[in-house]
Amino acid sequence: MTILEIRNISKSYGKIQAVKGLSITVQKGTVFGILGPNGSGKTTTLSIISGILKPQTGSYRWFGQEPSKWLNRKVGSLIEIPYFYPYLSLYHNLKIHCLIKDVPEKDIERVLEITGLASRKGSRFDTLSLGMKQRLALASVLLGDPDVLVLDEPANGLDPEGIAEVRNIIKLEAEKGKTIILASHILDEVEKVCSHVGILKWGQLIASGKVNELLVEDDTIIISSERINELHELLVRAGFVKTSQCDEQEITLTLADEKTPADLNSFASKNGFTLSRLEVRKKSLESQFLELVR
Amino acid sequence: MKKLFKIELIKIWNYASFRVIMILHFLLFLLVIIVSSQIDISVPGLTMKNLFQFPHVWESFAWIASWFNLLLAVMLILLVGNEFSYKTFRQQVITGLSRNDLIIGKSLVVLLVALYGVLLVFLTSTISGLIFTRGLSIAMVFEKSYLLVVYFIQAIGYMTIGFLIAVLFRNTALSIVMYLLYFILIEPIIRLMFPREARLYFPVKIISNLTPRPEFLTIASDEPMLDASGHSNLDLNAIGIVPDPLPFYLTILLALAYIAVFSSLIFIFIRKRDI
Repeated sequence: MTILEIRNISKSYGKIQAVKGLSITVQKGTVFGILGPNGSGKTTTLSIISGILKPQTGSYRWFGQEPSKWLNRKVGSLIEIPYFYPYLSLYHNLKIHCLIKDVPEKDIERVLEITGLASRKGSRFDTLSLGMKQRLALASVLLGDPDVLVLDEPANGLDPEGIAEVRNIIKLEAEKGKTIILASHILDEVEKVCSHVGILKWGQLIASGKVNELLVEDDTIIISSERINELHELLVRAGFVKTSQCDEQEITLTLADEKTPADLNSFASKNGFTLSRLEVRKKSLESQFLELVR
Repeated sequence: MKKLFKIELIKIWNYASFRVIMILHFLLFLLVIIVSSQIDISVPGLTMKNLFQFPHVWESFAWIASWFNLLLAVMLILLVGNEFSYKTFRQQVITGLSRNDLIIGKSLVVLLVALYGVLLVFLTSTISGLIFTRGLSIAMVFEKSYLLVVYFIQAIGYMTIGFLIAVLFRNTALSIVMYLLYFILIEPIIRLMFPREARLYFPVKIISNLTPRPEFLTIASDEPMLDASGHSNLDLNAIGIVPDPLPFYLTILLALAYIAVFSSLIFIFIRKRDI
């Protein structure tokens, strides 16, 4: 089931084109990560689908329908930093969110428990640490137990402990079957939390797919053998190699499409080479990401 | 509507600046009334006591209350400006309010504060009238009580202009400065560039003229200053202490029209611009 369908949306600020003809589809139950360098249009995209910004062209549909008020209870959005009234307590801030979403007030206790803020419910918002503010933002998003969470940089500015806490909350919600759309600078976070990823550059989607698929693509293989130069020439001639680099000790290569490390080992063996080393280095999402956006 | 009202109540009751401004408004109004009630002008033909008696008390207290409408407008600018500076308007749209809801919520605050002003004028006028009026009659009590409604419209007018300026500038300090400048400097200067008749139709002029200065100089005395031929030498129009000669009903209609126009502009700005 398609939860969100973005069709060809564009948004510019004056002469700056923030999003350009962007189309993304998010399926139910996926944790969809949106990656991109600063200024790639991540926040603009999430702001558009959250109804804060109006796209200049294109459209988007939630649950196959035009966005409308009933979405409040189905989609919880956290865009950029949390915005609350600094002079109000956590409880009063969340009470405002409950009223907006038509959620019973008793749900405040539940979300404060989940986010570990129950003991601070009477504190003013401006007395909270950054991590607590971020957790309160997550608490507000979780009010009413929405089916979809839209989170923009949820771990932004947090210390490692805070990042782990927020990541844990997201993972727990994902395990409950929620669809989560997450924009983050922290590639490691996307790698650990997301099932799918879309990479943005200059407001355009330049790569998209399952995280595992993106990771498998172009893994680096390192092999060692006797007569290393001869083996290198053989592999190139046989079409095993997409890219390669050979020195006196080893060959570092990426395999051509549809070739596997097992195929390579078998081929080398058949041609009289015994590999003393065959190491598959999975490409990290970070290197994949950097390669794509450069 | 009830939901929006509840949300606004949470915001304002817990906002210290709101409480301070409202208390200040209340105290300043009472102070002016108490101090002026102690002034006894004994110039022939003038008496201050009429200001505190039915039916003139409605007029004089509404006029005094109108001095402090600027304070109410500044308070509204603070509330709207906060929504922009805290980015809570933005957050509330993310959470699920429509842009219209944002405007309706703040409009309810405008109505609530204007009602408070009316209640204040009503209670103080009633108490003052009961204390100072001699020969009290029902007709006398209600004769000019319609000015409560007029004051209500005026308070809404002041705050609507404040609301519009806050939406335009999105910055509390700048909005307050621009609001005061517009009232004190900009519109009066613009008015001077127009013919005398046209000056009466400017928004601040219209809204300010809703609560006219009390006519105590003419109505206060049983023995007006007359010359030998029996005519008054006091040319009130010439010395500018009487309201401008625009029919009162027209002033009210124009004030309502301006409020409608400014409200429409607020809707347009909030709906069309990013928040």
